[in-house]
Amino acid sequence: MKSFSLPDLGEGLHEVEIVNWHVSVGDNVVADQPLVSVETDKAVVEVPSPYSGRVAALHGKPGDIIPIGTKLAEFDDGAAQKQEDRGTVVGMMPEAETRASDAEQRERVSGARVKAIPAVRALARKLGVDLIAVDPSGPDGMITADDVKRYAHAVAELPAEPLHGVRRAMANKMMQAHAEIVPASIHDEADVESWIDKGDVTVRLIRAIVAGCQASPVLNAWYNGQDMTLRMVKNVDLGIAINTDDGLFVAVMRNVEVREDADLRDGLNLLKHDVEARAIPLEEMRGATITLSNYGVFGVGSRANLVVVPPQVAIVGAGTIRPRIVAHNGAPAVRRTLPLSLTFDHRVATGAEAARFLRAMIDSLEGKAKP
Amino acid sequence: MDKRIAKADDLNAATDTIVATFDVHYRHYLDPKGQLIGEAPAFAKDREIMLSLYRAMTLTRIFDYKAVALQRTGQIGTYPSCLGQEAVGVGYASVMTDKDVMFTTYREQAAQLWRGVTITELLQYWGGDERGCNYAGPREDFPVAVPIGSQATHAVGVATAFKLRGEPRVAVCALGDGATSKGDFYESINLAGVWKLPAVFIVINNHWAISLPVEQQTATQTLAQKAIAAGIPGIQIDGNDIVAVRQVCGEAMERARKGDGATVIEAFTYRIGDHTTADDATRYRKDEQISAAWKIDPLARLRTYLGAQGWWSKEDEEKLIAECKQKIEAAVAEYAAIPPPRPESMFDHLFETLPPALAWQRKKLMGG
Amino acid sequence: MAEVTMVSAITMALARAMQDDDSVIVFGEDVAKNGGVFRATDGLLDRFGSNRVMDTPLAETVIAGMSIGLAAQGFRPVAEFQFMGFIYPALDQVINHASRLRNRTRGRLSCPLVFRAPMGAGIRAPEHHSESTETLFAHIPGLRVVIPSSPSRAYGLLLSAIADPDPVMFFEPTRLYRAQKEEVNDNGHGLPLDTCFVLREGRDITLVTWGPTVRETLAAAQTLANEGISAEVIDVATIAPIDFDTILTSVEKTGRLVVIHEAPRHIGPGAEIAATVAERGLLSLHAPIERVTAPDTVVPLPRLEKAYMPSEKQIVDAARRVVNFS
Repeated sequence: MKSFSLPDLGEGLHEVEIVNWHVSVGDNVVADQPLVSVETDKAVVEVPSPYSGRVAALHGKPGDIIPIGTKLAEFDDGAAQKQEDRGTVVGMMPEAETRASDAEQRERVSGARVKAIPAVRALARKLGVDLIAVDPSGPDGMITADDVKRYAHAVAELPAEPLHGVRRAMANKMMQAHAEIVPASIHDEADVESWIDKGDVTVRLIRAIVAGCQASPVLNAWYNGQDMTLRMVKNVDLGIAINTDDGLFVAVMRNVEVREDADLRDGLNLLKHDVEARAIPLEEMRGATITLSNYGVFGVGSRANLVVVPPQVAIVGAGTIRPRIVAHNGAPAVRRTLPLSLTFDHRVATGAEAARFLRAMIDSLEGKAKP
Repeated sequence: MDKRIAKADDLNAATDTIVATFDVHYRHYLDPKGQLIGEAPAFAKDREIMLSLYRAMTLTRIFDYKAVALQRTGQIGTYPSCLGQEAVGVGYASVMTDKDVMFTTYREQAAQLWRGVTITELLQYWGGDERGCNYAGPREDFPVAVPIGSQATHAVGVATAFKLRGEPRVAVCALGDGATSKGDFYESINLAGVWKLPAVFIVINNHWAISLPVEQQTATQTLAQKAIAAGIPGIQIDGNDIVAVRQVCGEAMERARKGDGATVIEAFTYRIGDHTTADDATRYRKDEQISAAWKIDPLARLRTYLGAQGWWSKEDEEKLIAECKQKIEAAVAEYAAIPPPRPESMFDHLFETLPPALAWQRKKLMGG
Repeated sequence: MAEVTMVSAITMALARAMQDDDSVIVFGEDVAKNGGVFRATDGLLDRFGSNRVMDTPLAETVIAGMSIGLAAQGFRPVAEFQFMGFIYPALDQVINHASRLRNRTRGRLSCPLVFRAPMGAGIRAPEHHSESTETLFAHIPGLRVVIPSSPSRAYGLLLSAIADPDPVMFFEPTRLYRAQKEEVNDNGHGLPLDTCFVLREGRDITLVTWGPTVRETLAAAQTLANEGISAEVIDVATIAPIDFDTILTSVEKTGRLVVIHEAPRHIGPGAEIAATVAERGLLSLHAPIERVTAPDTVVPLPRLEKAYMPSEKQIVDAARRVVNFS
């Protein structure tokens, strides 16, 4: 700290009166800058600063009489504090901490695209026409006003009945599945001739599915497409598709991997009964980890690309069991076979994983693996 | 100084004749120590005039300190300090008449205050409110010109108006050393010369154009000599010498008023403060230069002179400082009490009558 | 009533304004003794004297700046800039001062001035003499931009521009200066600024244009009429601020719009018109809005001038496309 005392101002003066300080504590001053005005006998005189530096302290106030030699001011040692570079010559421009990329969002947003000019869109709205349904006749797939009018005219002749209840739920669910899932299917068949007359097909299918889940656990899982996370589930809660006059229900048999055959059969019967009686509680329709659709019971169909419903990643379809001409021990034979379709979400599972699953199912159904 | 500007190439001295030579004079009266040199003009002996000049310079300085402090506390925006330049502004403004019109850059608070721009109006402008340019006092003075030198062209337009109407009025244009490099300046003094316009150009050479020192601004020995290129007289003065400023500017204004045309006056001073409150002048200049500038402070030398004449005492100084501070505080309070401008006022003075397309925009801005 | 060219109509308007109002003065390069390089100020010096008609030094910045000083002092200066291509040194004064003096002084000072300049291509002039950069000025708040397309409209619009209390850029299409003659009544009546002129009424398509391309657009409208397409032709005249009401009313009727201008395409005034019609008249449109403009290239030297300027054929083609869209 450097201090500055009132210098001898000459003419035999012993004291002066402080008139006015020109600086304040904390100011950066340069040498010769006026520090304070003082009054001598004759005049008001400015006392210049002896140093450049930061004013640390000032002594005395206007009106005070101070003798020559009294400490007037103190300055911080060393150079004046460098003031922070503001980096501009006008205005204020503080540097921010935010990263430019934080504000940017890269989420892909998809939407259906129809090509129609605004006036046509307004017309469609007015007529209650969904442009998705309209057949475009304009250039480059554009929907014209005439197209809209034609459609409106056509549907006006048909009664439009909104979907209710289970059908409506199915429509929503399937739309959602379609929007999210990337389906792929593998089809094959199991030779069931050896046990078909005396076995419980559904129970054996369940056993086979369990075997498949053991071989490819990734197909017994839940997938969240938003944050791309996969939850592998240890137990197999099997969704069973059950058809009624009201529509399709999928009821869930819990922990099928640890249950005995008889228990499975009882469980199936109970579910079927409750569904048909519309007495099934809601929780029993939720939380399936994989689904079985035994569509073959209708007597037709040998391969199907079924719909995987998220968050599940797989659905097994069982087609119609009937005699088919197959190769058996190297020669053509007529054997009863059970067609199997496995549709899986290809975002999550590979073809190999699906193939392993189906292999395990077939092995189980053909008695080659331990049920 | 009696230098021949046109230097003949020595090899051609035999064949060339000198067709033109020019002189540039320097004038000063009151030295940095507050002593009069030589024969001073009559007003230097006039107590009332000299005190009025000192009071105005003091008010300017105290206002300037306050304005910088207000910027630091966020009460006004970017502000350009005029510390050290008080004598030029007070000097030339004090010899203008009410009917003369002033054009300035943004560092002429001293002249503006003398001309009747209120402290509140200055605070409003630097606080970011256009209403600060709607001067209640000098109704015809132009607001500060931010694009450097552009005001010189307005000055010659106004001077043309005076001449066309045969009025004994003068356009007084203050600009900086940097402005003398601009086309606007050259075009304006050229027109003022060839049309013999009643204009006075005061080049306030405060040594700095932001960070460029005047030695790097131009190769000319003086800025005053740029007047020669326009065919009008140019003279240098000590801009920190209030007597010289007032005297020489007064002479130039009389010349103009009489119909003898324009003058360029180069006034030496020093910009003690930063270019603006956002600038950091320590990046490009040394403390020693500032110290040297304090030694030629216009207020100190005038105060010394007044004291030596027996016209100024400690009580006078204390009283003046108190008055200035009180005036400024009252203006700060007045400024703070003014309701902020309304957003729709952005549309209010675009045209005399707002066209429909803009009226629609104005309505939308107001939420209509 | 005489039949006069546009440039003569301009002279008539200047003389009328100067006669009726002492505060109107005219100056610029070569305007006094020489009567202007296109003779737009011919005869004014003799009639009104050198205190009202002045030759200035060659200095666009100070010509613009002094106009501001004079206007603030109560004169009504009408300054001539020899070509739009040479007005750019004045841009600083126009943008930084003329357009905003009223605003920044809250009305205390204002600029009732007019800056005139010839604009546009088509007279096979050397480089820099064929600009159409009215967009630069139209973009500035506080500034009016007016472009006449006929002798009578030049007369009436110039009178109104001079009488207007605020700054007006008055750009005169060089290739229209002597292209047509028209009866102009020297009655001192101004035509309204900020207003479109409907030059031809139609049902099927709206053609919006101004200045030099009005001629080609009217010709295109005639060609289209011969094919059974009824085109409405609108002369915008005041490019800033634009009278959108007239344009929107027309598009509501026709449902189809083509904008034609000689200014280059990118951010030309056509973009503003198209955007505003899309914003406020979207549901009337049966087809996209098209613009027929000069390309975004430097104005070529005369050998390619014809290829550069919008042609009647381009206008007709655009109109047909728009009409046949759907």
